Amino acid sequence: MGDCSFGITGKDFVILASDMNAGRGIIKMKSDENKIRALGPHLAMAYGGETGDTEQFTDYVERNMRLYHIRNHNALLPPAASAWIRRQLAQSLRSRKPYAVNLLLGGFDTTTSLPHLYWIDYLGTKADIPYAAHGFGMYVALSTMDKWWFEGMPKEKGVELLRKCINEVQSRIVVQFNFNCILIDADGVHQLDLSASDPIADLSRAPEKAEVEVPNPIIAAPA
Amino acid sequence: MALFAPPPMYADPTMAADKQHAFNPYSENGGSILAIAGADFTVIAGDTRQSEGYSIQTRYARKVWQLTDRCVIATNGFAADGNNFVKRIKQRLEWYEHAHQKQMSIKAIARLTQTMLYGNRFFPYFAYVILGGIDEDGTGAVYSFDPIGSYEREACRAAGAAQSLIQPFLDNQIYFRNQTPAPGAEPFVPGRLPLSTVLGLVIDSFTSATEREIAVGDGLELYVVMKKGRTTDDLVGSDNLIKNMQVQELGALGEGGSERTFLVSLPLKRD
Amino acid sequence: MGSPMEYNGGSVVAMVGKDCVAIATDLRLGQQSIGVAYNFDKVVAVNDKLYYGLPGLATDVYSLREHLRFRVNMYRMKEEREITPKTFTHLVSSSLYEKRFGPWFIEPVVAGLPQPTELDPHPKPFISTMDTIGCITTPKDFAVAGTAADKLYGAAEGLWEPDLEPDDLFETISQTLLNAVDRDCLSGWGAIVHVITQDKVVTRRLRSRMD
Repeated sequence: MGDCSFGITGKDFVILASDMNAGRGIIKMKSDENKIRALGPHLAMAYGGETGDTEQFTDYVERNMRLYHIRNHNALLPPAASAWIRRQLAQSLRSRKPYAVNLLLGGFDTTTSLPHLYWIDYLGTKADIPYAAHGFGMYVALSTMDKWWFEGMPKEKGVELLRKCINEVQSRIVVQFNFNCILIDADGVHQLDLSASDPIADLSRAPEKAEVEVPNPIIAAPA
Repeated sequence: MALFAPPPMYADPTMAADKQHAFNPYSENGGSILAIAGADFTVIAGDTRQSEGYSIQTRYARKVWQLTDRCVIATNGFAADGNNFVKRIKQRLEWYEHAHQKQMSIKAIARLTQTMLYGNRFFPYFAYVILGGIDEDGTGAVYSFDPIGSYEREACRAAGAAQSLIQPFLDNQIYFRNQTPAPGAEPFVPGRLPLSTVLGLVIDSFTSATEREIAVGDGLELYVVMKKGRTTDDLVGSDNLIKNMQVQELGALGEGGSERTFLVSLPLKRD
Repeated sequence: MGSPMEYNGGSVVAMVGKDCVAIATDLRLGQQSIGVAYNFDKVVAVNDKLYYGLPGLATDVYSLREHLRFRVNMYRMKEEREITPKTFTHLVSSSLYEKRFGPWFIEPVVAGLPQPTELDPHPKPFISTMDTIGCITTPKDFAVAGTAADKLYGAAEGLWEPDLEPDDLFETISQTLLNAVDRDCLSGWGAIVHVITQDKVVTRRLRSRMD
C-alpha cells in the first residue's frame, strides 16, 4: 500500500515505473531499492506489497519464466506470462499463507509487435489495460492518465505522461518517492534515466548505457 | 470454600458494561412510496403493508395523506415517526390557515417540511418524505426529502424498501434515460406524460415491486391531485378502470381553490 | 475488506424471448470505489448456442472460467458432441459445490438455446442462475446477478414481457441493464449484449454513462 507504480503503453513500447522506497511502517530504510524486475528479453514487472513476499514471489516468477525459455527456446509471450502469474497468485490466495504481492506486468509481443500491460493484484485479479497504477498512484494519477493518454503514443509522450503522474504523486502524497523506470520495446528492456532532460534521445544515442540485466541472457544456438 | 469462589461479576469493571442494554428508539417498517408529476396533475402512491423484519404488523396502514386541496404527503421508514410527522405538519397547516385565511402552497409546505425535519437534526424523524401536488402556476410538483430535511423538486421519485427496484424503471420511463428519440422526432420532455400512462406506470411499478420485495404488497393507495378545471374523464371514466380498482373523490378541505383530489385504491398480492 | 461479492463490482442479466435468449453484462472492473478497467467482459461463450456470465470476485471470474473451459473441452472430447445448456448448468453447479466450505465468490448466469433432438424436437430457450455454492434456479423469464441485482430485478420486472422477438429482446435487455447499472456505483462503464438465435448470435457493445 505504501508502494506506488505506473505502467503506460504506447505505439511500440511499454513503460514501467516504480517507487524506490523500502521500509516498515513509518520508517524508511532505503530510498534506492529497485522494485522492477526483468523477467525475459521483452518482459518485466514492477511490484509492491508485503516485503519478503515480493522478493520471494518475483524470484519464483523470474526463474519459472527462465525455465520455460530454456525448455522451449522461446520466452512466454506477455499474454501467456500474465495468465501464468495470475494463476500463481490466485492459487496462493486460497493457501495457508498467500503471497501479498501487487504487480504491473509489461511486455512487448515480438510476434505481433504490440505492447502489453497487465494490472494484477494479490488476489489474482487481472486487467488488460493501456495504462495502470498501483498503490498511491491509483488515487492521484489515474485521472491524469485518463486525461492525457492517447492511442498510439510515441515514446516521448509516454515519458511526458509518466512525468505528469510522478509530479502528481510528489505534490499530493505526503511520502517522498524516488522513481525508477524502464522501457520495453522491440529491442528489449532498457533503463530510463528520469533525471535526464530527454531520456528517449539518450536511449537512442547510447542504448548500451541503458542495458538492464535480463536473467541469463539467451545462449547463442550452436552453429 | 468461599476462598476459591470466582470474584463477583461487579468486581470486574469490564463486565459491568456488558450488562447495559442500549434502547433503540427506531424501527424500519418496510413498504414503498412513489410520486410522479404530470403537466396538470400529480400522482402520489404508497402500498399499505406495514412490517417489521419478517412479520407483517398490518395489511392496511396508510402511508399517504391529504394535507391541503393541492398537496398530498407520503412518508416511509419508521411508521411511528412518519405518522407523528404528518400529525405535526397538519397542525402547522391549520395554524397557517387560521392566520392567513388560505391554504399553504406546496412550495411553502416543502420548505416547512425541511425546517421541521432539520429541527430534529440530532434526533431525527426516521422518515423519508415525498410531497406531491399542484404548484402555484398549476403544474404538477413532486418534492422529495431525506430524514433530516435535504430536499429537491423532481419529476418523479420512489422511496422505501423497493426504491432500488422502482427508481431505475422510473429513470427509464419518466426521465427517458438511455432512450433516444427517432431522427426528426420530438425530443423527450419529462413530466408531460398523460395521466393514463402515469397510472399504468405506477401500478406496474408496485406490482413489480410486490413480486420481488417481501416488504411491499397487500394494497395500493394512489392519490391523484388535479389542476382546477382539468377534465377528470381519464380517471373516472369507467373504461379506464382496472379490475378491482376503486376511485373516490375526496371532498375539498378548504374553500376557493378548485383543485380536485381522487383516491384510487386497488389490491396487491398478499404473499 | 468488505464483501468479496462487492469488491470488484459488476452485473449480468439473461432473458428469454421467442425462440431466442439474450445475455448481457457491464464492463467495469473496480477495486472497491476505484475504477480499474472498462473492458472486463464477464460473459463467455461455450459455443454459438450457449453463453454464460460470471459476476462476482474478479480473480474467481478468471479461475472459474479457466476451470469451466477445461471441463467443457474434456466433455467435448469424451462425448464427441456439444454440451447442452442444462448439462452445462449442472457442470457449473457441481464445480461450485465442490468448494462448498471455501466458495468461489461468483453467481453464474447461463443462457442457451438447446438443440432439437429426437426426444425433444422443440426445446425451449434456456436460462439458469446459481448462488455461490451452486444452488440452481431456472426461471422462465429472466435471471439477474451481481452488484446491481436488485435494480435489475425492478427494471426487468417492469420491462420484460413474454415471447419477445430477437430485436425486441435486445432492446428490453439493453434498457434493463443500462438503467439498472446507472443506479449502481459498482457496475456500468459500458456493456455488451449477446442475442442468441438458432441461426446466429448478434453481439453488440453498448455505450453508456462512464461515471
